[in-house]
Amino acid sequence: MITLEHADIRRILPHRHPVLLVDRVLELEPGSRIVATKTVTGSEPCYAGLEEDLPASAYAYPASLLVESFGQTGAVLWLYSAAMAGERSEGTLIFGSAREVTITGRAYPGDVLRHTVEIDQLIGDNAFMRGETWVGDRRIATLGSVLAVVREGLAVGTGS
Amino acid sequence: MSRRFAAPLTAVDTVDIADAPDGARVEAVKRIAGEDPYLVGHYPDFTIYPGVFTLESVHQAIRHWATERHGPGAVAELAAITSISFAAPLLPGDTLRIGCDLTTRDDTPATVRAKVRCHRGDGALSARMTLELRIDRRDGDDHA
Repeated sequence: MITLEHADIRRILPHRHPVLLVDRVLELEPGSRIVATKTVTGSEPCYAGLEEDLPASAYAYPASLLVESFGQTGAVLWLYSAAMAGERSEGTLIFGSAREVTITGRAYPGDVLRHTVEIDQLIGDNAFMRGETWVGDRRIATLGSVLAVVREGLAVGTGS
Repeated sequence: MSRRFAAPLTAVDTVDIADAPDGARVEAVKRIAGEDPYLVGHYPDFTIYPGVFTLESVHQAIRHWATERHGPGAVAELAAITSISFAAPLLPGDTLRIGCDLTTRDDTPATVRAKVRCHRGDGALSARMTLELRIDRRDGDDHA
């Protein structure tokens, strides 16, 4: 079973602080499946500048960042698998599209997001993925289909 | 700037809201700045507004509508992304223009469907999405 620590993840993903949203890979089966975690803390920039005396719901981890963290987890699986196969993509990693994403729960500071992502299909520089996000034994999101793309021509020398 | 919800950045500069037969029309503008929070890491040698931040911009525009419609305590929670797709990229200096048609349903809890098209300042389509949001009125007063 392949596991990856943060230093390994930084070698795979082009994202950097504070938008590198994968902390640790618990399981990785190349070309197939990944399980990774991202710990939510109250010291993250998204919790800066909030008003006082807000209800608990105000501290829900932003859905945008949850989707980004999921997508980055899928990208780790894709790019790690491609590197193992001797393939190398030149270009900028972007979020292409998604369908059938349902968000049924929230995460709060102190929670650990656990993303399970499977690659459905690889077509050239496009990776179709799906999966779920859990906090403990609560499933908080189901992502029916997420497309990540490596797009050339946006910038020179960026990306993986 | 203080906020009433966690968010990676202030993702709309202006929001205009107009009543429509089935709900509302919400239009918002966001100018992309390289100094915006989080963008330093996306990416270090080339800045591009992340697709999920366009989602955040749309979500914040709808939050504005929710608090205007239901009071300051109202919360618009993202329940589903039925579909979302991205086209033209947004780079620092670009302007994101959001056009959002909201269809409201008076079930409990109240839900809202948003059909959204986003354009870059030069007119190029940058994103389109269909979202479902749940409106939690909490301590908010219904101004209707």
